[in-house]
Amino acid sequence: MSRALPKLSAKTLLSLPPAAYLFLLFALPSLMMLFASFRYPGEYGGLAPWYYLEEGSLSFDLTLENWLRLFESDIYLGLLIKSLFIALLTTAICALMAYPVALTIARARKGRRELLLLLVILPFWSNFLVRIYAWMIIFSPQGAMTIAINELRALFDLAPISLMFSNVAVITCLVYVHLPFMILPLYANLEKHDPRLLDAAQDLGASRSQRFWLITWPQALPGLFAGAVLVFIPSLGIFAIPDLLGGTDGIMIGNVIKQQFVESRDWPFGSVLSLVLTGFTLLLIGLAAHFGRARGSEGKA
Amino acid sequence: MKKFVCCFALTLCQFLAPQLAAAEKVLHLFNWNDYIADDTVAGFEAACQCKLVQDYYSSTEEMMAKLLAGGGDYDVVIPTQNAVEALIKQGFLMPLDKSKLSNIGNMASGFLNKAYDPDNIYSLPYAFTTTLLGYNETKLNELGLKADDWALIFDPAVLSKIKGKVTVMDDSEELLAAAMLYLGYSINDTDEKHLKEAQQVIIKAKPYWAAFNSSSYIKELTVGNIWVAHGYSSDMFQARADAMDAGRAFSVNFALPKQGAVLALDNMVIPKKARNPELALQFINFMMEPKNAAELTNVIGTGNPNAAATEYILPEIKSISAIFPDAELQAKLDTLAARTAKQRRFQGRLWTEIKVR
Repeated sequence: MSRALPKLSAKTLLSLPPAAYLFLLFALPSLMMLFASFRYPGEYGGLAPWYYLEEGSLSFDLTLENWLRLFESDIYLGLLIKSLFIALLTTAICALMAYPVALTIARARKGRRELLLLLVILPFWSNFLVRIYAWMIIFSPQGAMTIAINELRALFDLAPISLMFSNVAVITCLVYVHLPFMILPLYANLEKHDPRLLDAAQDLGASRSQRFWLITWPQALPGLFAGAVLVFIPSLGIFAIPDLLGGTDGIMIGNVIKQQFVESRDWPFGSVLSLVLTGFTLLLIGLAAHFGRARGSEGKA
Repeated sequence: MKKFVCCFALTLCQFLAPQLAAAEKVLHLFNWNDYIADDTVAGFEAACQCKLVQDYYSSTEEMMAKLLAGGGDYDVVIPTQNAVEALIKQGFLMPLDKSKLSNIGNMASGFLNKAYDPDNIYSLPYAFTTTLLGYNETKLNELGLKADDWALIFDPAVLSKIKGKVTVMDDSEELLAAAMLYLGYSINDTDEKHLKEAQQVIIKAKPYWAAFNSSSYIKELTVGNIWVAHGYSSDMFQARADAMDAGRAFSVNFALPKQGAVLALDNMVIPKKARNPELALQFINFMMEPKNAAELTNVIGTGNPNAAATEYILPEIKSISAIFPDAELQAKLDTLAARTAKQRRFQGRLWTEIKVR
């Protein structure tokens, strides 16, 4: 007992800074946004006062209008669903592309493994926006890639296409930016797999696909899940990529939130949209975690 | 030991002195990007024995969002007239001490004492731009299209010839204003019915546009990816020069549509919490000197509210009618007024619908 107590408090102490961090930078701002979502926008931006003192009597100036506006037309929820779809697609493509890469790294020789990992991290050395601008040049109608694709299409009598300002450009860039976030957790997971399990399965007569689905897949799920969260959340809320590469209908929910805070200077409605996005994200992650756990324990059994 | 302390103190002084001096004499300017000539910056730094540090913005909304959220202690900001009005009403600006501004007499009287700041208590004009159409002259000539009409970006019959080669500004105020002009309304008409009509014009034209783009249209025009871009006159001036310098096989030009255009009169103001108001006044006075004001037009291609600057403006720039329009067109240029929260909210909703539909 006397030994368990200090151990517990040490653990608590260690978890205090991250807890305080989360409270200060996530919980508190979310609460502030929740409050802001019931207020009126200020005449020149910011928020209008939420109470007035008139002739000694206090009157409150709060409203449900901002929340009702969300359901006034289907555009906001429609856009949220579209953004969810794009984020899911990005996550799926990332997972498909990251798996073979992570597996190759995990099975590489020790010295080479470090080099391959370095190559995965290398893009982070240049700024995110610089890399997006590089893609703008690649996608440009005068760029070598577009010209090559269109020459190829011409051989089959297909009309030339434009890659810049399209959903293809947006999704390509979303995948490009987020791919390392899928590779790294997957690698960390696959590296720990015991190759002897696969050998044993093979000795016992399991086929290739049986070995993958019965042994590798259930073990890889936690890594895949971690990667999916790291890819899905940022791609859901992103606004820079659709802003720079998207066409006239390329916007996502993040762009509308940015528009509320910057262009319309409508903080209350921006808060409503942000909270809905945060809520949706937490809900989806919760659901995924729940089913992931159920599948995981099933696999073990 | 004493010697050592002395040495240490001296070294410390050496390290700190330049920083202290620099801390005293730095002018923090919050400006539009590409909105001052490099030579002018160097000239001011030499005149004031100080450093000029610039931060940039690319839209009024961006600038307002940063200032109103309390960001940046700038000494001078260059807001557009409707933003000046909003900043004054917010109590954000410091009255200008006219006794320190000896060059005030150089300014053209037509740009002074405007409704957004009567008697120029808080602001003095810096330069003006118009929002117009930049275009690939060679391509439009081939297609037989004219750029002096908003129909070029709004009329589907015209647009069908340049489908996917047009960008418009990613800016609700500017684009709605252009559509209002195309419909024959005033840009400050806040009638919701008229604004909805403008929204419909935009939605019908949207399938023909490549993108909403306020950030890279200079490049897209000069590279030849885009043939028509809706944007600021000073940007188009730069695109024209860039295409010439790069020796492209085509030329870029720009024109004011005959229905009129948005005029943005940018002003110099000093925020109340400026750290260096004396230096700020010195900068404002410096920019009102005819030669420095003229440099802005010669290098950046802006319109000039400084009457005394005219004689220093290069003749080849004076002849560009989009920068120096004739009286008839000049009368059709109008400035955007500040919008109320309710109006902004309505426009914001129209804009989201435009972006989604």
